[in-house]
Amino acid sequence: MNRDSSGADRAALRADAQSPLSIPPGPVTSAILARIEKELRDMWTAPLAPGEMPKSRVCTMNLVVAASSREVADRYTAVVEEVTASMPSRAIVVTLEPESPTRALEGEATAVCVRGESGVVCSERVRLVASGSVCARVASIVDALLVPEIPTALVWLGRVHTDDDVFTSMALRSQRVVLDTEYTSLASLVQLAKWLREESEPRPALADLAWTRLATWQELCARFFDEARTRDHAREITRVTVRQASDSGARLGSEGALLLGWLATRLGWRATRMGGALRMKREDGRDVSLVLGAVPRPEGVAPGALASVEIEAASGGQALKGSIVRELASGGGVDGKTLDADVVTWTCELAGQPCQTRSVRLRANKGARVLERTLHRQVYDPTLVESVQFAEHFFEDGVVVR
Amino acid sequence: MDATNPLRRGLVEDRTGDPCAVVIFGASGDLTKRKLMPGLYNLAVSRALPGGFAVVGVARREKSNDVFRKEMKDGIAKFSRRKPLDEAVWSDFERGVSYVSGTFEDPKTYAALAKHLDALEQERGIGKNRLFYLAVSPSDFGIITKHLKEANLVKPPSRDSHEWTRVVFEKPFGHDLKSARELNDTIAGVFDESQVFRIDHYLGKETVQNLLVFRFANSLFEPIWNREHVDHVQITVAEEIGVEGRGKFYEQTGVTRDIVENHLMQLLCLTAMEPPISLSADSVRDEKVKVLRSLRAMERSKVPENVIRGQYGRGFVRGDDVPGYREEPDVAPDSRIETYVAMRVHVDNWRWGGVPFYVRAGKRLARRVTEIAIQFKKVPHGLFRAPDGGITPNVLAMRIQPDEGIALRFISKEPGQHTILRDVSMDFRYGTAFGSNTPEAYERLLLDAMRGEATLFTRRDEVEAQWEYIDHVFDAWANEGSTPPPLYDSGSWGPEQADDLLARDGRRWRRP
Repeated sequence: MNRDSSGADRAALRADAQSPLSIPPGPVTSAILARIEKELRDMWTAPLAPGEMPKSRVCTMNLVVAASSREVADRYTAVVEEVTASMPSRAIVVTLEPESPTRALEGEATAVCVRGESGVVCSERVRLVASGSVCARVASIVDALLVPEIPTALVWLGRVHTDDDVFTSMALRSQRVVLDTEYTSLASLVQLAKWLREESEPRPALADLAWTRLATWQELCARFFDEARTRDHAREITRVTVRQASDSGARLGSEGALLLGWLATRLGWRATRMGGALRMKREDGRDVSLVLGAVPRPEGVAPGALASVEIEAASGGQALKGSIVRELASGGGVDGKTLDADVVTWTCELAGQPCQTRSVRLRANKGARVLERTLHRQVYDPTLVESVQFAEHFFEDGVVVR
Repeated sequence: MDATNPLRRGLVEDRTGDPCAVVIFGASGDLTKRKLMPGLYNLAVSRALPGGFAVVGVARREKSNDVFRKEMKDGIAKFSRRKPLDEAVWSDFERGVSYVSGTFEDPKTYAALAKHLDALEQERGIGKNRLFYLAVSPSDFGIITKHLKEANLVKPPSRDSHEWTRVVFEKPFGHDLKSARELNDTIAGVFDESQVFRIDHYLGKETVQNLLVFRFANSLFEPIWNREHVDHVQITVAEEIGVEGRGKFYEQTGVTRDIVENHLMQLLCLTAMEPPISLSADSVRDEKVKVLRSLRAMERSKVPENVIRGQYGRGFVRGDDVPGYREEPDVAPDSRIETYVAMRVHVDNWRWGGVPFYVRAGKRLARRVTEIAIQFKKVPHGLFRAPDGGITPNVLAMRIQPDEGIALRFISKEPGQHTILRDVSMDFRYGTAFGSNTPEAYERLLLDAMRGEATLFTRRDEVEAQWEYIDHVFDAWANEGSTPPPLYDSGSWGPEQADDLLARDGRRWRRP
């Protein structure tokens, strides 16, 4: 596919040129909006240049991205461009600069086109930068730019504060709020999940790129119990060991917490305390021993990234030991490999049975691919909601790895 | 698997098959190289294969595991939808690929296979789960199933065991009702119906599956999907290509057996069926069978006025000069085999009474297209003046291939001082909306077979009902004497008689 991001379609608009410090409530932002809307319309009504291929405007969703700085927005714009190449959308990338001394709104509209099998398909990208108190109006500005009748997803790139009106008003205009807690923190997810539980209908659904990345781990964990001879072991797990790439003493990262939350909710475990320490109990009342460890974090690997999972179980006198170990060093540009080349080794030992070992490649960890997979999922994911609710125990107890 | 492994509950993104061995009979054939192995490889790339997994190829030719793996690797590199081949995935995948040589008639082949599978169980952790895939000529179906049973390779389904044996049969499944019944009887002597997966790869296509979603997940269309609002339905399966070196095969089949009896009938069923009570295999298949049983059987005397056949002559396809069917290799110079058929089909039930379904399939037609078009009735009163004295009716066209999508044709006013009406179309295209890297039909169907999900496979009564309907046509043709089918120019839309079929009803074929 050839990408043609046409600079000719770009229109940069600055509102602060005339009176950067005195935006009257309404007229200036609405004037900028009108110009952006005109630019968007003109993209599709302008006559074709000689030899220019006809373009189709396709829009399957509104993808709103909120970034806390221009640098983050710039970096994420490349991700958005890749995602919209396969999921044509109206992407609105908003930079929020509430601390800025100016009160300004900047905007630009761009057509992002991809030459595919069925001709040239174009998405629209709008970039907005809101400074100072204009940030308070961002939800209303974005609202005016949304394409009606199609879903809206909000990708919130910073920390979530549910007492932040900018966040809540944008979230409530969306069908789904997407976080990436691998790069922010579990706190954001926990706070958002609590707010969503409290919020009256209609409320957006919850999504987390860290949860999407966990899909491979979940699938590999499930494989331990696929065979008839190991199936009963799932209910009789005795020990789970989770190691993450971080310093010893760091808090349990979101991947580890979500994976444990998922295991617990699938297997009917309860969280209990003994002397203030968090304990897991199985459905039959027996303890599940949790071991949380740290391994050195190679460069390029996200802090708190899951490094290994070991599951031990005993059923019918047979011990099962399964492990999934990530070759963290295979990422980070070693030998020309990238993070996408992450490989895990899956091993299952069943007493008296030969050991099985398989090498499995994790799904691409590239930002665009993970976001795309997340957006392709069902909007409401009850398994995530339940797992986050359980993971709150790890967050609230301040569980750390050793 | 989902019901008993609690960790599989809620894992929606990554459907995986049960640990198993896939045993492909006909491993040297084109289907294995072009579709089956690339399908399995792509499942491996998507991590949809289970932890314990093996593929065993069975064919007549002697060859080592290494040679077989190399052939399969070359096939995957050439035919996989994902390119280039991922060496890391392949190296893991190929460890599970092996080969057993032997003729299908020789009991020793099956003894060797049984021994090989026993060894794999230990090495690969595949358990006793076996999926036998018969990518062979239908004439071999009977002998293979018989020997599988005799070699104790078939385990009957049991509530007390998680172990399973399943068998997949490639089409064509029989060549008429009698042979299909005989084949089904033979298979029923070895396998329970729940173990039998008769493949119609059209059902694995995303756009075909979307027919159910389109009809039953949208409240807009279902209320008008009936004789009150629909004037008629057209289903087209058109190919540009000729027999492509398969003259010998085509001389024994023809387009009616190759396309109409299976693919086209399935599209008709999915278009006409009532909403199933659930998406379970039997619920969906029950509704399809009801449609097949509602088809008005054609008496011998009625066939000529309802069925038109044709055979392609010379002509131009995409500008290329192409030979006629009788000039193709391995085709008799006086062949009477039809390469085109058009039929008027009546679905005699409450929903569709009086609504004709016009179906057609052919080779060397003007363009490659498979589509279902619902033509709605005209407006009851001509409020607007139109130059041809009428307003074109609305059409909902569901394009199965290529350019998969849905288009709704309606009338709009052209901007201006006068009220000038114009046809416009609302177009939805899968490729642009969802990207084009969707799984191939065989990936979906192989995975479904490994998971024991039979919704997209045809059931015994379904296959027999399809043949029962089509057999009336063959019966009439057999009694027509030696009249050859009318010729049509390659690159056209079929013989003129096919146009007359609709013209008699005051209708005409679409030019999709």
